[in-house]
Amino acid sequence: MEQLTSPSDRLIRVLQWVWLAVAFLLVGGIIAWILHLIRTAWSLGDTPSASIGISIVAIPIFVVFMGVVFYVFWGVSGHGRER
Amino acid sequence: MAEIDDPHEQTLLAPIAHTGAGFYWAVAGLSLLILWGVLAYSVQFSEGLGVTGLHQPVSWGFYVTNFVFFIGISHAGTLISAILRLSKAEWRRPITRMAEVITVMVLFIGAGQILIDLGRPDRLMNVIRYGRYQSPLLWDATSISAYMTASLTYLYLPMIPDIAILRDRLGKRKLLYSVLALGWTGTKHQQRILNRAIAIMAVLVIPIAISVHSVVSFVFSMTLQPMWHSTIFGPYFVVGAIFSGIAALIVAMILFRKAYGLQDYLKPIHFRYLGQLLLIMACLWFYFTFAEYLTGYYGAEPEEMKVFWAKLTGPFWPFFWGMALCNFIIPMLCLVSLSRHTIGKVLAASLSVVVGMWLERFIIVVPTLSFPRLPFAEGIYAPTWVEWGETAGSFGIFALFYLLFTKFFPIISIWEIREGREGVKEVEERLISYLPGEVEEKT
Repeated sequence: MEQLTSPSDRLIRVLQWVWLAVAFLLVGGIIAWILHLIRTAWSLGDTPSASIGISIVAIPIFVVFMGVVFYVFWGVSGHGRER
Repeated sequence: MAEIDDPHEQTLLAPIAHTGAGFYWAVAGLSLLILWGVLAYSVQFSEGLGVTGLHQPVSWGFYVTNFVFFIGISHAGTLISAILRLSKAEWRRPITRMAEVITVMVLFIGAGQILIDLGRPDRLMNVIRYGRYQSPLLWDATSISAYMTASLTYLYLPMIPDIAILRDRLGKRKLLYSVLALGWTGTKHQQRILNRAIAIMAVLVIPIAISVHSVVSFVFSMTLQPMWHSTIFGPYFVVGAIFSGIAALIVAMILFRKAYGLQDYLKPIHFRYLGQLLLIMACLWFYFTFAEYLTGYYGAEPEEMKVFWAKLTGPFWPFFWGMALCNFIIPMLCLVSLSRHTIGKVLAASLSVVVGMWLERFIIVVPTLSFPRLPFAEGIYAPTWVEWGETAGSFGIFALFYLLFTKFFPIISIWEIREGREGVKEVEERLISYLPGEVEEKT
């Protein structure tokens, strides 16, 4: 496996991880928001079934997006470094 | 700058490597539009929505029209690109990137219209803190954020190999390209992973795109307002969205073909195929419009008829008949025969459809509010310079961002063109496999 010896290589790697973290933060924020709306609806007795019903569809979609991004990130950048 | 050997790639990388005077003129022109928009918004922000033509009962006007229009255009990209990619349509290769970029840009601008329409943007926090999922408006917020995430991912993934080419060939923005290329070297393993991820996203993005415009239509159809409460609004909006999306894509293709000398990539055959697709969508759009209006007319419900006649012969007749002319008659005349002057005819039809679809969105939003079912006073909507300014600014931002994108990334996918050239034999084999008796199909 190629070592990331030069400072520029290390900087690129760090920035790539930051980029991934931002993507996760964005999608994680949306999921947290949906969960917050469920909790609010639940605590107010304000038809929580609507929030739960929509979140059952929405949350897995966001999780799949992040899964795909992480899969590409890990597979492409990991293999590129190995090479 | 490092030397670019391949003459094909040179054409595609040239807009990124060199910037001509035309670019600066275009940026200056678009900046003026944006400046007008910024000025209009700053007046609205300080004075309130009273400076617009919005009032009771017409509380939705240009902004909501623009919202529906831009979200509709966004179907250009992801949907068309995903369908063509999954169906292995080889002619898609120079088109997909342009379509995907349109999607991402207009989604942000479309969603921004809601912020403008709020008058007080700080009230967005109320949606975040106290949003209720019983409201179709919140369904919109959720589905649009899913679509934004999906289309950003779907734009980025197929760009990785091209970004690696830029990293290796271009002498500038090395850090940016190195970070975004994720260490792409083009190994078989990397290609397998990327192709798999693109295929997953292509499958996912189609139902999401359809759901987005269905949900946008639900904002209207879930109410009991005349000419909004319709069961076909979902598919009607989706058809209109694909229709306007194809038209916007064609306009963008023709502009960049001319500006960047892409005649070798975007050939008349591409425009002929897209023109035929536009013709089919024009027929579908007409069918849905006819069904929608005929059902309303036959029911003859008094409140419904008030809005119906306001559109056909009342104060909104220029918009209604303008819509019919732009969305059906002109495309029919232009696209029925594409054997000669293909690009000119397709451009005329597409520009007409873009205008016609904006009118269609307007004719859906405003007349119903002008003649509400509830016992409110009736009222006509007249936009002020503020709405015109913000509309012009929105179009300006879209065009400017699109233009800036082309200065950072290739507007035509280099690796997909290369893959297409190398895969001619594979395509030939695939074509032969479609024919009876030539190749035994594995079952």
